[in-house]
Amino acid sequence: MDEDNKITDETPKKQVIETEVPLGPVHSAAIEPYRVRLFVEDEIVKDAEITVGVNHRGIERIMEGLPVEKANSLTEKICGICSNIHIWNSVLVAEKALEIDVPERAQYIRIIMAELERLHSHLLYLAHGNEVLGHETFSMRLFYIRETVMELLRMIGGNRVQYGVPIIGGIRPRAELDQMKIQKIEDGINFLEEKLSNFAERFISDPMIMSRITGVGVIKKEDALRLAVSGPTLRATGVAVDLRRDMKEYDPFDFDVITQDDGDIKSNLLMRVLENFESIKIIRQAINHLPEGSITNRSWEMQDTPITKNYVEAPRGKLYHSYALNDGRVRHCIIRTPSITNIGAMEYACIGCHITDAQLAVVQCDPCFTCTDRAIQIIQL
Amino acid sequence: MSLKSYSRARAVHVMLVYTGGCNGCDIEIVNCVLSPKFDIEQYKIFLTWNPREADVLVVTGPVTRHNKEPLKAIYEAIPEPKAVIAAGACALMGGVYKNIHGDIPSEEICGPVDEVIPVDAKVPGCAVRPEDVLAGAVAALPLLLDAE
Repeated sequence: MDEDNKITDETPKKQVIETEVPLGPVHSAAIEPYRVRLFVEDEIVKDAEITVGVNHRGIERIMEGLPVEKANSLTEKICGICSNIHIWNSVLVAEKALEIDVPERAQYIRIIMAELERLHSHLLYLAHGNEVLGHETFSMRLFYIRETVMELLRMIGGNRVQYGVPIIGGIRPRAELDQMKIQKIEDGINFLEEKLSNFAERFISDPMIMSRITGVGVIKKEDALRLAVSGPTLRATGVAVDLRRDMKEYDPFDFDVITQDDGDIKSNLLMRVLENFESIKIIRQAINHLPEGSITNRSWEMQDTPITKNYVEAPRGKLYHSYALNDGRVRHCIIRTPSITNIGAMEYACIGCHITDAQLAVVQCDPCFTCTDRAIQIIQL
Repeated sequence: MSLKSYSRARAVHVMLVYTGGCNGCDIEIVNCVLSPKFDIEQYKIFLTWNPREADVLVVTGPVTRHNKEPLKAIYEAIPEPKAVIAAGACALMGGVYKNIHGDIPSEEICGPVDEVIPVDAKVPGCAVRPEDVLAGAVAALPLLLDAE
């Protein structure tokens, strides 16, 4: 640990505030169990504390010792919302370690899956955000739009939640796209674009919603950088960081990195609305220029590898996987999901809010505590 | 149909408890309530988050150690008559999280759900399909309606 991050006696102690409002672990605004303790003074939140760990399943421990193919399919079960990015990243780590080339057609289909998943994650975020806001009409509308994406995902992967499309060296033969499926994807994203533009127009021009969410739950740019926030939550504060720019898989595609300025709930919601259009743009490019050829590279051999790591841009931020392989089995495995770094931002965004906005301030950071609950905390006694 | 069951059939409240799965089942269940495509509310089944208001408890996930006691407490808090639906592979048999290493059970998992609380209807699938959730909810209804 370097000197700057060390917790010393000079670290300011948290102010003792008497009134505490606990939310959770089972609470209406959050589907997942987590606990927020709000320390309030006159209905204004002065401090917040988020506790996770209720749904710890020890998935990394389960993965250690399994054959790498089996461990890869298990990474999908970390999260039911961003399952594809988990399996994709673990496959990428294995491919990086074993130096496997992937056919270009398989890369394109993986991108289509990843972007469809980003669409469904962002639409779920928007629907959930609107539900917490209290605007159920928008929420139901977004669930209706999202159903198109779910149908496309089911068509390609064969399941609505766990698709299992990438395998080491390519993609599963089930996910091969023929002309009929490509046509369906095209129709789907055209429908989606039209409905999303309608939604965006209505959402932005609704004075009631805008006045409700502007300037609430602000995360300042400097604080976002200090708290190591990642993903769309960081971009909503004005930092143009997108790991998709650094991934070689995304090189053939033309897309913009969306940023917003304010870091409040309005920026976060608009951020996701606008990112959806970028995802649609990428999918359209991918299906228009889908290369011909095989979808799997079977000519690779298992070997022992040192610890290999990889970062990708998950729908919620930066996702890290690392593997060390020995004898065809996973001997070391570390996964770090975006929400664990965003917890700091969630606590920070609550401070200064009215108590009714606190749950919204947490939800604006797109938490996924299912992903997060693999970490253990080592307390030095 | 007695007056009691007639009125009960008009307002069945479902409570969803998440006990440590991957979130996939939960999203699908919420989806089947909120999404206009499935719309479980047309059968007069509503989602609630208050156990004292609920009639049907939908449990997903393999019941992690931390969730065991809260799940029992929630089950106790629901007034009679009540029905429990276990949804998803994890809730039915522990899913991928239990017994992954042959016969060595995982210390973190106390599931499946029927070892913790009695289960009336089981919905299979990983993740459950919204159609199956609808069928499971409808299958559990006679328990509520025919009760004294």
